[in-house]
Amino acid sequence: MAEHDLSYKDRGSVLNRVYPLVKLVWVFLIAVGLFLFTRPLSGMVVFLFVLFLALIPGKMRPGEILKSGLIVFGLGFLLMIFHFLIDPGETVWSFGFLQVSDYGLQQGPVFFFRLSGVVLASFILIWTTDTRDLMQSLVKAGMPYRYAYTIFLALRFLPLIQREVESVKAAHAIRGRAAGTTLKHRIILWQRYVFTILINGLRKAENTADALECRAFGYAPERTYVKRIAFRKRDMVLILFTLLLEAGLIAGERLF
Amino acid sequence: MSRSLIELNNLTYRFRRKDDPVLEDISFSLEKGTFNILVGPGGSGKSTLCRILDGRIPHLLRGDLTGDVFLEGKSALDLEMKDISCCVGSVFQDPETMFATLTVEDEIAFGPENLLRVRDKIREDVEKLLGLTGIGTYRHNLVWNLSGGQIQKLGLASVLAMEPKLIILDEPTANLDPASTSQVHELILSLREQGMTVLLVTRELDEFLAEADQLLVLDRGKLLYRGEPYGILSERGNDLEQRGIWLPETVEIGLELRRRGYPVDRIPVRVRETLELIQQLNLVSEGTVLTGRDSPTRDETASPLIDGRGIRYSYGGGLYALKGVDIAVRPGEMLAIVGRNGAGKSTLAKLLIGLNKCREGSLNLFGKNSRRWKVPDLANHISLVFQNPEHQFLTDTVADEIDYSLQSRGVNDPEERIRERGKMLGQLGLSEEAERHPFTLSAGNKRRLGVATMLVGHPEVLIVDEPTYGQDREMTRTLMTLLREIRDRGIAVVMISHDMRLVSEYADRVVVMSEGLKHFDGNPTELFDKAEILESASLEPTLLFQILKALGEWGVTCRGNIPRTETFIKLLLKEGEVSLG
Repeated sequence: MAEHDLSYKDRGSVLNRVYPLVKLVWVFLIAVGLFLFTRPLSGMVVFLFVLFLALIPGKMRPGEILKSGLIVFGLGFLLMIFHFLIDPGETVWSFGFLQVSDYGLQQGPVFFFRLSGVVLASFILIWTTDTRDLMQSLVKAGMPYRYAYTIFLALRFLPLIQREVESVKAAHAIRGRAAGTTLKHRIILWQRYVFTILINGLRKAENTADALECRAFGYAPERTYVKRIAFRKRDMVLILFTLLLEAGLIAGERLF
Repeated sequence: MSRSLIELNNLTYRFRRKDDPVLEDISFSLEKGTFNILVGPGGSGKSTLCRILDGRIPHLLRGDLTGDVFLEGKSALDLEMKDISCCVGSVFQDPETMFATLTVEDEIAFGPENLLRVRDKIREDVEKLLGLTGIGTYRHNLVWNLSGGQIQKLGLASVLAMEPKLIILDEPTANLDPASTSQVHELILSLREQGMTVLLVTRELDEFLAEADQLLVLDRGKLLYRGEPYGILSERGNDLEQRGIWLPETVEIGLELRRRGYPVDRIPVRVRETLELIQQLNLVSEGTVLTGRDSPTRDETASPLIDGRGIRYSYGGGLYALKGVDIAVRPGEMLAIVGRNGAGKSTLAKLLIGLNKCREGSLNLFGKNSRRWKVPDLANHISLVFQNPEHQFLTDTVADEIDYSLQSRGVNDPEERIRERGKMLGQLGLSEEAERHPFTLSAGNKRRLGVATMLVGHPEVLIVDEPTYGQDREMTRTLMTLLREIRDRGIAVVMISHDMRLVSEYADRVVVMSEGLKHFDGNPTELFDKAEILESASLEPTLLFQILKALGEWGVTCRGNIPRTETFIKLLLKEGEVSLG
């Protein structure tokens, strides 16, 4: 059976051992930084930093990253091209009615790195964090466990949805091509695709919600945790380094 | 003190905004420490009844409920869900959707953690249950990387960890290979020995029926019969058969003999009991010869539609799902591919329909190298009916589904489409459902529509994944009769199945897969004689074959193909020529 791309796996990596809440805050910091940057170079530095973390301390394989992120990176690329063409500014290159502006050339990569960086950081969180540990760290931080669990059950669902998507995709492919190959026809097909996944996803979610109740979830305001997770001060290195890097880049943008 | 753990009195339930009750005037009780079986045809209300017993109705799913449910003497309707969940454990039909954590041991601990059990006790129980269910090796595995059998065992372990007094199991072996089914069976039977009350919803009665303390028969929302299984079979066996309930072959033999006037006081359930009955009625003696039709000979001269040699396939990571498989599919044959979960059957099917590409070994599909086919083009020659037909539906009505398939096969003339559509809907008994949304059809009709959408283009090969999944006996018979007609039209039908009875009754040829290799290619009768192959592929012979084998030990000679109980009875009663199938 093919492995699911968007699921937690204990690779024995450094990032596997980092306290889950620290990783969650780190993703938030990466997102904030990328939204504050105005120059492509800053976005690129942070994206490469995130990529480095995924490859070395995270022990991900480049193929895994590419496979899971292909659609998002592709969308980011299209977004970049879109900005090249529609942003106002001095025209630096033109081909027929297509015109590329200087502002577009700057904004395009900013948006590409913004989207790709946030998504890759989120992938790192998913790949390296047991959702149960993440829930427990949120509970330790004071969140009622019912809420913590509800939020992160969604992550638990990702591999199931991914498998559903693969099955529906395969089933639709073997139905063959109908005569209509127009854009409208393709949009209708996509609607069906989403509809099937949505319906089956909702059914599964409903079953899971029922199962939680049947298994005494919410029985008492507290619950036992067999596994203990512990915060280590050295995990904060990830946050501190990211803060320093982003602060440096923002300062650099302001000064130069 | 009452022995009843749970008691239902005159219970009627309607879904919201529905006039017809889904359950009507149901009264029964489950005694403490008993093993109970609930059976009924598809859509009879079994799952709804389970939801009432485990408290999901009315606590989570509202509706109109009248009557009483008592759990240990207290009204379950007045209890809170959390109190019911301490007493009643429920393993859902698809246990994977029950899982709330990532790893096997976390999943088992989840329930007891909610119940605020102490950490050491939970650890101790997890160890015990990992051992009991035999999944200790996979304790750190991610739950979505488990096989079907392991998922069922984990579902059971995670519910048992909460130490319920009543455990409800809804079709726990519906999609398991025979060996995993046997393991789950043993596990379930061991629960009663531990003093637990068990309610099992199943269609696989072979190993359970003789063990049950109570059999409950539900049809169209009404509890028709309840009581000791042998008594119900003796008094109501024919009725159960007519209602489309799967009965073991042993029971079918007993019922048929009685219908033919033989004195059968107690309908046999076990193989041993059937043999005793045959002996008691003097139906065979040493030297008796039972000769079925010869197994169909394969037309090796017909050029294969599918011809694969040394097929190897890997999903990556150096592990091979197929390790050198030869396969040929010829026109007009019904081929069964069997093997345990994870044996490589689905991978092989994906290669045949072009979803996976064969890169090692050779695979020719319809005279052309498989790598040169595009999936949508190949769809004109080979079709696959998925296990979950909903995945295949693309439109808003049954009629449009057929139209879509016709269009994709190049039928663009509207009049021809209407004609073809009407023919297909009529052939599959779906004419009255033409304007309904495919998702709102019954399970049986969804399956038929799945077959219909795949048949309209007149494919040369039709692959059906688990034809009996979620089907009652009547639905299965209808579907299999249809598949046989399709085969008779010269189309090759390939069914992927765990159901050995189905294979024995319908397949012309069976291919056994195990660990990515083909272990057997021949007719089902030959297969059942090869104990080593059956064991290595986690398969088990049918009850009928076990009877034939035991008769052989008595000096009775069984020749040719005796695939089903009707054939066996005719031979036993020497009713002349027996037609195969």
